[in-house]
Amino acid sequence: MIEVVVIRIVDGSKEWKISIGQERIKVRELLEKIGLLSNEYVVVKNGQVVSEEEIVNDDDEIVLYPVVSGG
Amino acid sequence: MVNCSLCEKPAVYINRISGKAYCKKHFLEYFDKKVRRTIRKYKMFGPKEHIVIAVSGGKDSLSLLHYMVKLSKRVPRWKISALLIDEGIKGYREYTKEDFIRVCKELGVEYKIASFKEYFGYTLDEIVMVGREKKLPYQPCSYCGVFRRYLLNKVAREMGATVLATAHNLDDIVQTFMMNIINNNWDKIIRLAPVTGPLDHPKFVKRVKPFYEILEKETTLYSLLNNLYPKFVECPYARFNIRWMIRRQINELEEKYPGTKYSLLRSLLRIISILEKHKDEVIQGEIKTCKICGEPSAHEVCRACLYRYELGIMNDEDRKKIEEVMK
Ligand code: SF4
Ligand SMILES: [Zn+2]
Ligand SMILES: [Zn+2]
Repeated sequence: MIEVVVIRIVDGSKEWKISIGQERIKVRELLEKIGLLSNEYVVVKNGQVVSEEEIVNDDDEIVLYPVVSGG
Repeated sequence: MVNCSLCEKPAVYINRISGKAYCKKHFLEYFDKKVRRTIRKYKMFGPKEHIVIAVSGGKDSLSLLHYMVKLSKRVPRWKISALLIDEGIKGYREYTKEDFIRVCKELGVEYKIASFKEYFGYTLDEIVMVGREKKLPYQPCSYCGVFRRYLLNKVAREMGATVLATAHNLDDIVQTFMMNIINNNWDKIIRLAPVTGPLDHPKFVKRVKPFYEILEKETTLYSLLNNLYPKFVECPYARFNIRWMIRRQINELEEKYPGTKYSLLRSLLRIISILEKHKDEVIQGEIKTCKICGEPSAHEVCRACLYRYELGIMNDEDRKKIEEVMK
């Protein structure tokens, strides 16, 4: 089984599965890979709010809380 | 793991300009200090006030309500109430309205809901439909903004507000600034000041924006840490708005060059102070009283009455009056 990071938007509207492997990658860079800006989301990693400089590993579960909202 | 610069606990936030990291406790302290500094700097409130908070039920306005109720515990002569304008947007407002009522009850704060339907006879959804049938050149957000601002002022005044606080944050402000530059709307730029209102017209309630210098990311985090983050629902009309694109552009710049938003804010404050010195040139004539409804207005007839007229959702008496004025 390949281990992956699961990223999803809190309302369930989108989900990504990405394998990172040995790379040391930060939340900000991970979001960049899927075309998102870190200043547009508050990031919860495995149930804890983290900053965009936090390191992510395979197996982590990331939930994104959109900062931008309409209306 | 990234740790708090002050106490070594896990960080929940990094201020990308100062490079400082904050844990939950120290983030909330940082947030509180920043809002209090904003309130003081722009002299938003006096020692005795009836502060009406404009709340949509979204995360920013719930955060403002929560924050102000907590702050008011330290100021004995402040009274806080909440006001929600229900535009009548199906699939959206009914949800945020639920959150609004729940939070008001939790905080023990008095609230009022005023709807487009009861004041204008139509919901926003209905207004948008009529506008499309009549091929009027306006976007949903134009009706929404005009009618909402109109009701906020009128109803807050009727509630006895000495000041009306809105949850506009730094992101909202600089986006609106950019939109108004694009549209060459300098009179609207003057109104983006942190405090506006009471001197121009006796029926204008003073307006303040306590989150003026707070990033939207920070208000969002505040809402999340205080269990105020709503079920994420988005207004179905939001994407028709040019704001959507401008926001993305500014956020891309901010990502690459942290501090861009603050720079824009400094530019805004500078240009407001320059424009204030040339008010006659920017704003045509004094603020008037609308000949139809008696509310403050930039013209003989206010925007809300004009829209009602164009939409054909006005009673005959008012319609005749408008036609008289416009002759
Ligand atoms: S997005 Fe537009 S229509 Fe929707 S609530 Fe905001 S201003 Fe109104
Ligand atoms: Zn700390
Ligand atoms: Zn009017």
